[in-house]
Formats: sequence, C-alpha cells, structure tokens
Amino acid sequence: MDFSFTDEQVDLREMVIKFARNELDYDLAEYDKNGEFPLEAWRKCAEMQFLGLPFDEEYGGGGSDFLTMSLVLNALGYACKDAGLVHAIATQVLCGMQIRMFGSEEQKQKYLPDVCSGKKIFAQAITEPDSGSDALSMRSRATWNGDGYLLNGTKMFITNGPIADVVIVFAVTDPDKKTLGGISCCFVEKGFAGFQQCNPIKKMGLTTLQNGELVFDACPIPPGNLMGKEGQGGMIFNESMEWERSFLPAAHLGTMERVLETSIRYAKERKSFGQSIGKFQSVSNKLAEMKMRLELGKLICWKAATLKDQGKRATLESSIGKLFISECLKQTCLDAVQIHGGYGYTTEYEIERDLRDSVAATIYSGTSELQYNIISRWLGL
Amino acid sequence: MEIKDTIKSFIMTELLAEKGLGSLADADPLIDSGIIDSFGIMALMSFLEEKFSIQIAGDELIPENFESVMRISALVAQKTECSLGV
Repeated sequence: MDFSFTDEQVDLREMVIKFARNELDYDLAEYDKNGEFPLEAWRKCAEMQFLGLPFDEEYGGGGSDFLTMSLVLNALGYACKDAGLVHAIATQVLCGMQIRMFGSEEQKQKYLPDVCSGKKIFAQAITEPDSGSDALSMRSRATWNGDGYLLNGTKMFITNGPIADVVIVFAVTDPDKKTLGGISCCFVEKGFAGFQQCNPIKKMGLTTLQNGELVFDACPIPPGNLMGKEGQGGMIFNESMEWERSFLPAAHLGTMERVLETSIRYAKERKSFGQSIGKFQSVSNKLAEMKMRLELGKLICWKAATLKDQGKRATLESSIGKLFISECLKQTCLDAVQIHGGYGYTTEYEIERDLRDSVAATIYSGTSELQYNIISRWLGL
Repeated sequence: MEIKDTIKSFIMTELLAEKGLGSLADADPLIDSGIIDSFGIMALMSFLEEKFSIQIAGDELIPENFESVMRISALVAQKTECSLGV
C-alpha cells in the first residue's frame, strides 16, 4: 500500500502550517482561561476554505478528497495549539458530510454553502444525559402531529451546541421499532420555538470548544427538515461515527508530532548531571516510544482515510485508529509533562494544556472502552 | 452459491452463531427481531460490499433494505446488475 502524499498535498500541509503559525496567533492562554470560542480564528479558517474542503465546488467547497481533508486537520493539530478550535472545525465538516450523503438536494443547497463559508455554525446532537456510549438508547422523541414533528428531549455535551445556528438532531420517531428503524434525523435551527441552547459547560480541557446542553420543548419541526428518510437515523449515526473516527485522529497525530518535537528540543537543551537529559535512557526511551506511537498511528489513520477515498468501509480501521491514537495522544502528553519536569506542570510551557485536551479524545466519539467492544465484536466475540 | 444463500450463510455464522438459531427463512425479520443490531448492520454492509464488489449509497442505507434476507438479496442483485451494466 502506498502511503505517500502527492506534491500538492505536501504543499497544502506546509501552507496550512504556515497559516496557522502566522494567523492563529491569538492569546490562547486567555481564551483557555475564559473558555471563550475564538470566533475570529474560525472566520480566518473559513476564509482558507478549511470548513468546506471536501465538498463540491457548486456548494462553495474545495472538492478535495478525504485524505487531503485529514491532512489539513493533521496540519492544524500540529501548528494550531488550540485543539478546541480544531475540533470545532472537524465537527462542522462532519455535519457537512452527513448533509452531503443523506440530505436532499434542497437541503444541500440550503445548508452546505453555510457549512463551507462558516457563516453558520453546525452541530450534531446525539448524546443525552442518560445515554453516552449507548447512544441509540436515546429518549428524545420526534412525534408526527400531521403537519410535521414535535421534538421533545434534552441533548448533552453537544459540541458547538451553545453557539450553533443549525443542529442535526437525532431522535426517536418510532419507539416500537428497534434502534435501526426507530430513530430519525432532523434539522433544528436557532430561533425555532421551544429550542433552548444552554450555556457552555466548563471542562478540564478543550476549553475553547463550546459544549452544552440543548433542550427541545415541543419544538415544531417542518417535514422538510427531516434528513434522509424516517427511521434512517441509526444508519446515519453509524456512517457519521465512521467518518468522525476516520479523520479526527489525524488532528491528534499532528498534536503528537508537535509535542514530540517540543520534548526532543527540551531533552537536548536541558542539562542534568553534566549532560543533556536526553542522554538518559529513562528519558530517551520515552521519546522513542512517542515516535513509535506517532508513526504507527499514521499508518492506521492514513489507511482509514484511503479506504474512505476508495469508497470502502473503514469501520474496523476507524475504531482501531480512534482507540490507538487517542490513547497514544494521552500517553504522549503525559510523557511530555514528565520529560519537562516542573516546567511541564506549569501553564507557561503549554504542555499541560495539551494533556488536559488529550483526555477528551479518549471519551468523545465513542469512549476507548466502546472501541474495544466494537473491535471485539468484529473478531466474533 | 446464490446471492441469497451467501448472505444467509454470513448472517448465520457471523451474526447468529451465538444465538443458536437453527434456521433462517428468507422473509424472517432481521432488524425488528434484533438479529441485526447497530453493529451487525456495519458488519453486514462491509461483507456485502467486499463480497459482491458493490458500494451501498446513502439513499440505500435504509432499514427497509436490510429487513430480511430477501430484501438484502434484492438490493445486492440490483447493485450487481447495475455494475455489470445489465
């Protein structure tokens, strides 16, 4: 299998890195402390077409393939220290992918240009207060009333939720059916009656990413706002998770590369007992492990992206990649703090923020425990 | 082996092995009965796409197309005919 990138892809990655270093230079420590979304940086990324990269040009997109999109996320994870912003971008793209695959032509015309331009912020609402990994056991109900649906329920931890203009909401439309046929998907827009966006939830990491509770109280949904067919929600959910688990880890690999380079630099500069600390095996072994995780992570991540570009399924590969890379990211950040010693524990060196951010990667988009379950099922267990 | 038998064999060995079901009729409900759950559908689609060299599009990813061996076979037959230009 050929994992080499084209010259255009390599150039694009370099361009994104340069852009991120020059243009996404806001005071992240301040945004991190305040839990503030970097809207100006979002707009700059939109102008660079990062939000619309994989979508057709007729909708304002860049017409790129999935691997290229993954590579851009990888470059952002590397050069932009704000993992919250990168995650918000990935969520926007993911919503666009759902619309592209399952939306009607009318819905594509209506929503995809806004996905690409970033003028509207999108979110997908699956998780509920009582259903996380077991997402399809959701309780939110969309009930047909003759003119449309009435949506009732509460969604929790929704990424981009507090600031979203459009939310793709998953809800039960037929409680008598099993999850695969009983759940549907609909568009809810800011300002709909009975739709309330609560304040962002304070978190240990990814603080600039806005996550929150969404409440639907007899929220009327026009029939034209159903995405796909009634009962297709379970299928859409599966597809969505596979896309997400295939490309979000690419950003984590970028972060791992940055953290590794930072740690190598420090290990060479920092002296102890008359020599660089990198000369001590207890430190150099950590760095070697970090490098191994990075290179092995690339193999599964690029494989999953390549499969998606070939129009193939990557259910197993995306689960393995999501599990492996998110756990590696967490361990890499933990090792980086340890290598940096007392400085690593300070906010000034910014490693501690990467560590705080990394923990979330093992939870969202299906916890590590859930990925183990999926992989085990794939083994026939 | 016919398309129908190939699909049935996969479901019996990969999705039903633990449940000890002796037989599976062409019209038996797969989704409403819980034989195919959210994981099972992904495994089944991977199998179908690989085995029959087809790609199942977004508008075909509806529960109705997977509700029985009969319906799945019809979908596969239609897709393979399309790919052969029939």
